[in-house]
Amino acid sequence: MPAHAWLAWVLMVMAVALSTTNPLYLVVVLLCVLLVGLMAPRTGHAIASLRAMLVLGAGLFLLSVAIAAVNGGFGEHVLFTIPGPRVPGWLGGLQLGGPVTGEGLVAAAVRGLAIFCVLVAFAVFNGAVSPHRVLRLAPAALFHAGLVVTVGLALLPSSIEDLRRIREMRALRGGRAGLRDLPALVVPAIIGGLERAMRLAEAMEARGFAASSPPGAPARLAGLASVPLLLDAAWGWFYYEWARVLAPVAALLGVAALFAWARAAASRRHTTRLSREQVTGLDHAAIGLSLVVGITAIGSRATGWPGLGYNPFAGLQLPPFALDGALLALATAWPALRLTAVPAPGTLHPETLSSPGATPP
Amino acid sequence: MIARLDSITYSYPRANSPALLDVTASIAEGAFVLLAGPSAGGKSTLLRVFNGLVPQFHGGTFSGMARVAGLDPARTPSRRMATIAGMVFQEPESQAIADTVEDEIAFGMEQQGVAPDAMRRRIDALLASMRVEHLRFRRLATLSGGERQRIAIASVVALEPRILLLDEPVSQLDPAGADATIETVARLHREQGITVFCAEHRLERLLPLADTVLQVNAGRVTSLMPREAAASIDASPAVARLGHRLGMVPVPLSVDEARQRLSGSGVPATLVCPLPAALPSPGDELLSLEGLSVAYGELLALRDVAFSLGEGEIVALVGPNGSGKSTLFRALAGLARPATGEIRFSGLAAPPAVPERTAFAGLVPQDPALAFYHETVRREVEATLRLRRLPRTAAAVSRWGLDGIAGQHPRDLSTGQQQRVAIAAMLAHEPRVWLLDEPTRGADPAAKAWLAARLHAHAAAGNAAIVATHDVEAAARFATRVIGLDEGRISFDLPVRAALGTGGPLPTQVARVVPGALLPEEVVAT
Repeated sequence: MPAHAWLAWVLMVMAVALSTTNPLYLVVVLLCVLLVGLMAPRTGHAIASLRAMLVLGAGLFLLSVAIAAVNGGFGEHVLFTIPGPRVPGWLGGLQLGGPVTGEGLVAAAVRGLAIFCVLVAFAVFNGAVSPHRVLRLAPAALFHAGLVVTVGLALLPSSIEDLRRIREMRALRGGRAGLRDLPALVVPAIIGGLERAMRLAEAMEARGFAASSPPGAPARLAGLASVPLLLDAAWGWFYYEWARVLAPVAALLGVAALFAWARAAASRRHTTRLSREQVTGLDHAAIGLSLVVGITAIGSRATGWPGLGYNPFAGLQLPPFALDGALLALATAWPALRLTAVPAPGTLHPETLSSPGATPP
Repeated sequence: MIARLDSITYSYPRANSPALLDVTASIAEGAFVLLAGPSAGGKSTLLRVFNGLVPQFHGGTFSGMARVAGLDPARTPSRRMATIAGMVFQEPESQAIADTVEDEIAFGMEQQGVAPDAMRRRIDALLASMRVEHLRFRRLATLSGGERQRIAIASVVALEPRILLLDEPVSQLDPAGADATIETVARLHREQGITVFCAEHRLERLLPLADTVLQVNAGRVTSLMPREAAASIDASPAVARLGHRLGMVPVPLSVDEARQRLSGSGVPATLVCPLPAALPSPGDELLSLEGLSVAYGELLALRDVAFSLGEGEIVALVGPNGSGKSTLFRALAGLARPATGEIRFSGLAAPPAVPERTAFAGLVPQDPALAFYHETVRREVEATLRLRRLPRTAAAVSRWGLDGIAGQHPRDLSTGQQQRVAIAAMLAHEPRVWLLDEPTRGADPAAKAWLAARLHAHAAAGNAAIVATHDVEAAARFATRVIGLDEGRISFDLPVRAALGTGGPLPTQVARVVPGALLPEEVVAT
């Protein structure tokens, strides 16, 4: 499956998961993502393993619920009360302690579930597509910025490996795991990571990678202007009825300014790519479906269709489960169909086998 | 002349002394130039002058005039210099950018805007000429060290530079990987006429290829002919030192040449006087393994390993990368759980926890300097004693000969000094058995001599050590016994003279010339 299609899928999952507050739809999305994860190729390029992301997602889910409990909350179904100090009003309504309600916990669990869905989807995406393949999708104007990000991400696994080795070395010197030893683990790992980044930067420089000179002043101004224009357009559209006429104009101007900057930035330096991803008609259709589903999910906030919302504070009713919303959530499983038609190659493909002298796991 | 340096002096930012001092040299196009000298002497800095990384990337103060292919590398953009002088760094894994071999080789060409068809043609030709076509679609993570280094070379040669700069290209590799890498470089030099600058400590494979040797020491550079260098520099190969000792003029550069010269007329006959054993014969058993096997998932990294180690023994553990040397150490230190087998320390079952195990058998893993945390060498060494709740004494530092640098920050030291501090820190609690994982990697002669002296003193006190190394010449200076590992099994376990001597599995250079001897010092002219 091409990287374009994977990117479209992960963005679609993000759009759907963050647009709905209905836990039933979120469960459908999560099951779809897990199904795709089971069938997706694991190329070994992953920055973080699927298991690590699952643990992180579960941790964030629990954190979300715990924060809701500590914050106290609104709702009629008070489960218990946590004593807490009175927080000054100028802290913007922050609450510590107070009644813990069923409504508050359900709302927090829904938020945590949405984040969990997104993290698992990114873990699947990350295992299936290498950062280098994603980089090749970046427009020319963003290629160098993308390369820096990609290289940074590629350094992450080695930093985690450094941390493991440093912990082992502490144990070899008689150290035992404990919070007091944390700086002695983290500081050398950070220094090691910075030194490695410097070595890689030097190697890239030696191979002809150097930051290109910035585009001219008009293009830079256009790039700068695009940000407030696009923000104003979004702000006006969502928050001020009277600005709805002007918002599309601002959006158009913003996009035009951004385009002008991108063209100028791309022309500053001529780079080429060895190969481009092969995208079939089926992939184009899948990308199109992802776009439609994603836009529909985001648009549902504004248009109300399909109804993806659920408000636990309205009496802790059972969430609705309608066909249109369920289909939208179910659409996130499309890579599973694609992978059923054309299965991903196994991880023991002859080209990926290691040499006798390669580092053992 | 492809390169000319005139009175180059360079200091890194915030450095107290210059890294290069008044360097003047001229190199003809197509030459093979070897840079020799001690660690931190300035070899890597000099290499970086040729492609402009010094001073353009590193900053600092630069004076003098440099011309490389008619360009001033200190001012020419790095993108342009990359097509003139390609550089391969010491650790191949630290310079990889892409995931696969093909993408890695294409990276530099993509930066130069080479058309995709032209890129493919160049990659085809390059992989064929380097005889690594079979690696084209492989992931870099699955390659062996030697393969990775050859791909690193391919990725810079793809830009068709006139100069190839190699910074210790074989220091991290096992003998097979090193031979393959050097053969690749020699072919590029021979067939494409590329000018090669190669900085290296182990010169035995490279000196016969060199046209010129630049001796770099304390920032000063002396240009020597290879035979002149072989007769004078510290890092000269054992066979050259043997020739020098026997009065051969000029000194031989290779084993074959030494053999021919010794069989010819006018050369004195030789007598072998083995150096007296500085170590006592093996005493009581300190460590024993029985049927030890370790598996990583499906991969069996160690298979039924068994041996014992007595007081006064120093074992050199040899074998190619991936043969199980590090795994054996990890199992001994308690970091890897054996699938089967038993480890005993002084006749008793080894304790399960890592801190208790390493109290008896201390392990110094590869790159131990990674874990430096404290601000002075003294505190770094004493940290081990604190962690083990042992009294901190002044002798903890002086025992290792580190008094002169005790107040310095460990990360400000040279690589060789850092290695010494790391060994001292990991073994400060004086375990009876030392386990050293490739301490000779990238070490200069002074560092190897320091290590040999420490090992001798340790063994003479009735202790023992196992040292994993690829360097048989260094092993001949400290080992009493050699164990070979291959694919996780013990392939041989022999006394040092049987293993590294004539007819043994890994003869030293001298042993291949003079039967019965291991080291140049053991041979005398009659």
